Amino acid sequence: MIKKTSDTATGDTEQSKGFSIPQTAPLIIFLLAMVIFFSVTSEYFLDIENFKNILVALAVTGIVCVPGTFLMIAGHVDLSVGSAAAVSGMLLAQTVNDRGIAVGLAACLVFGLVLGVINGFFVTIVGVNSLITTLGGLATLYGVALLAGNGQTVMMFGFEWLGTAQPFSIPLPILIFAGLAVIGIITLRRTSYGRSLYAIGANPNAARVVGIRSNRILFITFVLSSVSAALAGAVLASQLSAGDPNAAKGLELEVVTAIVLGGASLAGGRGTLLGTVLGLIVIQVLNNGLILLDIPSFWQRIAQGILLIAAVSFDQIRQKIVSQKG
Amino acid sequence: MGKDLVQLRNIHKSYSGVEVLHGVDLDLGSGEVLALLGENGAGKSTLVKILAGDIPPTSGTISIDGTELARLDVYQARQLGIRMIFQELNDAPTLTVAENIFLGQWPGSGGMVAWSEMEKKAKEILDRLQVNIPVDAIAGSLRVGERQLLEIARALTQNAKVLVLDEPTAALSSVEVDRLFTVMDQLKSQGVGMIYITHRLDEVARVADRVQVLRDGDSVLTVKNSEIDRTALVTAMLGKEAEKNARPSAVKTSKPALKLNGLTSRNDYSNVSLTVNEGEVVCLFGKIGSGTAEILESIFSLRPVTGGSIEIFGENFTPKSPAASAEFGIGYLPADRQRLGSFGIRSVAENLAVTCWKKMSTLGFVSQLKEVQAFERWAAALRISSRSGSTQEIATLSGGNQQKVLLARWFEANVRVLLLVEPTRGVDVGARRDIYEIIRSQAKESNMAVLVATSDYEEVVLLADRALVMARGKIVSELTGDSVDAKTLVSASS
Repeated sequence: MIKKTSDTATGDTEQSKGFSIPQTAPLIIFLLAMVIFFSVTSEYFLDIENFKNILVALAVTGIVCVPGTFLMIAGHVDLSVGSAAAVSGMLLAQTVNDRGIAVGLAACLVFGLVLGVINGFFVTIVGVNSLITTLGGLATLYGVALLAGNGQTVMMFGFEWLGTAQPFSIPLPILIFAGLAVIGIITLRRTSYGRSLYAIGANPNAARVVGIRSNRILFITFVLSSVSAALAGAVLASQLSAGDPNAAKGLELEVVTAIVLGGASLAGGRGTLLGTVLGLIVIQVLNNGLILLDIPSFWQRIAQGILLIAAVSFDQIRQKIVSQKG
Repeated sequence: MGKDLVQLRNIHKSYSGVEVLHGVDLDLGSGEVLALLGENGAGKSTLVKILAGDIPPTSGTISIDGTELARLDVYQARQLGIRMIFQELNDAPTLTVAENIFLGQWPGSGGMVAWSEMEKKAKEILDRLQVNIPVDAIAGSLRVGERQLLEIARALTQNAKVLVLDEPTAALSSVEVDRLFTVMDQLKSQGVGMIYITHRLDEVARVADRVQVLRDGDSVLTVKNSEIDRTALVTAMLGKEAEKNARPSAVKTSKPALKLNGLTSRNDYSNVSLTVNEGEVVCLFGKIGSGTAEILESIFSLRPVTGGSIEIFGENFTPKSPAASAEFGIGYLPADRQRLGSFGIRSVAENLAVTCWKKMSTLGFVSQLKEVQAFERWAAALRISSRSGSTQEIATLSGGNQQKVLLARWFEANVRVLLLVEPTRGVDVGARRDIYEIIRSQAKESNMAVLVATSDYEEVVLLADRALVMARGKIVSELTGDSVDAKTLVSASS
């Protein structure tokens, strides 16, 4: 019965599991349908510059999605990322103007680390539910971002390259995201840290009893999440040449939507970064197409909300089918 | 004792072309207890699910009270007074005992619950069961055995005519088992017919009027209580001449591996001293709550120690965290496989390798090849059957196969001390013997000290080199060699 050696041994179990046909097929079909529809309805859609736009728009969200997917696989969520990115952008704009780029970036990094430690402390040591902890963070930090600039945008001078440079004619944010995504994929599949995230999400009690240091792993992941949000905020501020408290509004929604669309289970234990990337592409192609068709931007929000609910429903229905099978 | 309450005739059931029941008959009279025996996969669950209207038979007839039914659905089955009690709890742990007994059918009117009436009625039912639990206690704060009795209490509120009990005693202490049997005797005198599914042969003679044995979807034996013969039952279940409960040959070692010196945990156990030698299997036998499982939890840092000390291979060991215990070379198998043991939605290979990722890594990267190879090696050695090999989700395996994977996870980690709590709970008879053999041979081969906490005396007889009997948190006697037998164990523990 267990005579399969070479084929299962070389086959990537994670990939064949998390990226299997029934899970991502509907998403790919939906994506293709959108591409065809927008190609027909807009002459600007099928254009290399437009694809660049889509990827740049995707990159900022994508940076946050890497640790976001880690957290979701472990059964947790970080909603504070949107406001954290806003605070980071404000911080960067003000410090770059006064003390230069190096100090500005260092300040963002320190902010990310401190926020991650705070989130990690409340979730793993105090034991507050991560949804609530980071929802509180979302509200608090939005206030901080408004306070930082008195509710106004703060202009930033001389630091556009992070958001707009194009080495090898590829926008830098895309390269940053691609690099992080590759590291993330390898981390999830090949390191004991990544494997432990799946175990923690699949059964947190068993993870502890089997000797996994769950709290330590979750703590690290919350720190990664906050640092990635700070980085995303810096990239965004650099693109805008300004710190804008409202620039990253709704980022957390986009992150969660992309991850869930990509097949990660809200209950934890399942999910892949490749799936999340696919989810990101779906969201940005939809946004981009709506813009090209001159549809008012309010509709983007509506579409995204519907997409999130559709993705979660799909996850639930799939779980029901799985549990009926078992 | 009429044979007219339930009549199943020539029941066939196929799942996607595979027939799992090949024309089974079953009779149950009012006031009769029918024990249904068989290994996992023999068709017991399918048969009782058909009776409960959960699934329709492919062919065959069902008669209740002498009326043949064209079809039977869950609602109809409830109307007819057919009630199932499962091994797993189906209660609401955050609600009170009274609320749980009347779950979903709270007495009252106009959408308002009549609390005083409900609590009064709940108390009456519990008194009838001779169970002393306050009706306003929160169900989740009770012990598993007590919660199981609540399930039975709930069935009683609903005018049950036919009661199907699916392995109800798996998690009960012997006092609770006795109480359950007393309750069953009472229900019998009230004319309730009962189908009792169990793995425990000794219970059969105590409660059953008749025994029916299923094997591979066929009814292979039906006998009256007076004709029950243990060997014949086991033979019928296993389909081959069952071995006698011969004691394993004792391992002769003298190098102490695990030593407890006056270990104490307030409220759980006190002043426990014992030694487990290299390659030796020692069973701590006692009722649930006697302290056996709690000692093992303490060694694995899952329960605080308030006094005494632990020595492992001569080194002083202070429990800090499960992770630290595992790094020290200790493995732990919990009794509750689903909640604490397995990662249900992950593959068998991952479930096995979870203890060894560090060992299977080079430069921080886990080798999935090693993961798969480890699984295949243990699958062959322990005869783990998994249809789609290493990628199959563990939750889809049978209990016995799951347990083998969870054992292999610690064997692969090369632990020096292995702690097992109720290692064959929810495992069928055939696989149990397999698991005993595996534990014994692995202990011997890798010089591992194995300490088992169990409330199943058959397990002690078949598994232990040495047995320590516990009662009320203390070790009360030590048995070695041929003095380890069921009668001695039971009398020492009560």
